[in-house]
Amino acid sequence: MSDAAVLRVDDLVVGYASEGEVLRGLSFALEANEIVGLIGASGAGKSTLLRSVQRLVEPSSGSISLRGEELTTLGSTELRAARRRMGMIFQEHALVERLTVMENVLCGTLGRTGSWRAIRRRFDAEDVVDAFRLLDRMGLSGLEDRRCDELSGGQKQRVGIARALIQNPELLLVDEPTASLDPAASVRIMSLIAEVCAESGLAAIINLHDVGLARRFCPRILGLHEGRIVFDGPPRDLDDAVLTEIYGEEAVEPHVVGSRQDDVPRVD
Amino acid sequence: MSLGPDRTTFPVSTDAARSWRPPPRIASRSVRRALWAVAVLYAALAVFTVDVDLARVAEGLTRASDFFGGLLRPDFVTRWTDIRAGLVESLAMTLIATAAGFVLSIPLGLGASRNLAPAPIYAVCRSVLAVFRAFHEVLVAILFVAMFGFGAFAGVATLAVATVGFLGKLLAEAVEEIDPAPLEALTAAGSPGPSRIAFGVLPQVMPRILGLTLYRVDINFRESAIIGLVGAGGIGATLITAFARYEFESVSAILILMIAVLFVGEPLSGRLRRSVS
Ligand SMILES: Nc1ncnc2c1ncn2[C@@H]1O[C@H](COP(=O)(O)OP(=O)(O)OP(=O)(O)O)[C@@H](O)[C@H]1O
Ligand SMILES: [Mg+2]
Repeated sequence: MSDAAVLRVDDLVVGYASEGEVLRGLSFALEANEIVGLIGASGAGKSTLLRSVQRLVEPSSGSISLRGEELTTLGSTELRAARRRMGMIFQEHALVERLTVMENVLCGTLGRTGSWRAIRRRFDAEDVVDAFRLLDRMGLSGLEDRRCDELSGGQKQRVGIARALIQNPELLLVDEPTASLDPAASVRIMSLIAEVCAESGLAAIINLHDVGLARRFCPRILGLHEGRIVFDGPPRDLDDAVLTEIYGEEAVEPHVVGSRQDDVPRVD
Repeated sequence: MSLGPDRTTFPVSTDAARSWRPPPRIASRSVRRALWAVAVLYAALAVFTVDVDLARVAEGLTRASDFFGGLLRPDFVTRWTDIRAGLVESLAMTLIATAAGFVLSIPLGLGASRNLAPAPIYAVCRSVLAVFRAFHEVLVAILFVAMFGFGAFAGVATLAVATVGFLGKLLAEAVEEIDPAPLEALTAAGSPGPSRIAFGVLPQVMPRILGLTLYRVDINFRESAIIGLVGAGGIGATLITAFARYEFESVSAILILMIAVLFVGEPLSGRLRRSVS
């Protein structure tokens, strides 16, 4: 079976024991090279979607396939192999703070490095070269041996990106990469992610709170509302009516549309 | 803006403020009175039920004065060979038991962490750690002396068990409090279990555990003197012998040397602790 899609999600239902269903039947497909921005109100299920693609939460029904390989039925060894092919970037960077920049980047190779070698810090020489190259690409050269708890938020996020890229992934799953950064740093990080995706022909799903950033960096946008996709299209089709459907009435006042949704006063 | 001159003119009811008292901790007056009555009754009973044998106290006082007199004249020389052997044995027991306990506590502690171990392993490890901590070192030492005979081996076994119980429990608690995000990131990268523990868990808990291990060295050295009293070797054995011979001058020398060892150890372990954090 040939499937042009990198990722295909079909009628996906995911719930938590305490919450009930969070995703209620999602379907979409991601072509190679495609960068998709996923927007939606807090609690809409954006993070849950990314985590269930990695099966960090188990879907209750539906199908997820990575280049035609069904993920929901994989046993643990095949699942680890599949996870290696998807790089994940986290909102709070999720670095091991007490390890160095280099060690954190090399953590991305743990999926292909045997445990015994990894525990003795015997990393593959090629991987080390790769890590240096990526750190240089991220603008972090010279910081290899710094402990991560000494870095700024933006630097940590770059280490997180390098850690995901060293996996040589086919797909990036990015969860709110700019949520703890100032506007300028946010734009720099988003540009960096967009560039590396273009350079290596990566597909990416990027969760974003900031509709402005989504419009600017994502040629395709998915709008999530209460666990369902209510919008799937290019930024220019993202009008007031759609934003109202995604975020609710209060969000869409003239001065807010297309700007930072974070600034919207909450009415709850 | 200065508060000074305005304060007196601010129209609060000063009477209310002056007559304010903190509310009593126990609100009910009758409960308060009952508690006082119980306390007085208890004190009275305590005084009258302990019968004090004045003759025995007088006898004890002479012995006490011998004892304190001896303590003021420490004698390092007469029993020096015994004392040195005892100290060296205690130090060796301490180091071996702490090292063995540390190594064993890691698998048990990880197994006793709810966020890592599957339920059956968790239950087994928790129970083992609970049993290891259930009995005081002296009881364990008596048991091991009965099993292995007098001497340092029983002592090392005792201290190792106590160390595993102590470090294993604290390790499990530290692991249960780690930041789960980095660990999840490693899972998402397809890392196998041992690598996830080595990179996602241990770096987060090791500084604390190494600090506690150094603290345990301290405890084990002091315990080695206590369990020596019941036959488990070390400086405690030397100490009880000196007591039995009424050689309070040697007892004094031993106590002074133990204090000296702990004094020297303190800044050393402090520096080590700082270098691991
Ligand atoms: N581990 C969990 N256990 C139970 N419920 C959870 C868990 N994680 C998320 N949820 C619930 O699932 C729902 C969706 O959460 P999710 O984190 O996917 O939303 P989100 O769109 O990423 O929100 P945000 O924009 O705030 O990050 C929320 O109601 C949340 O409370
Ligand atoms: Mg989220």
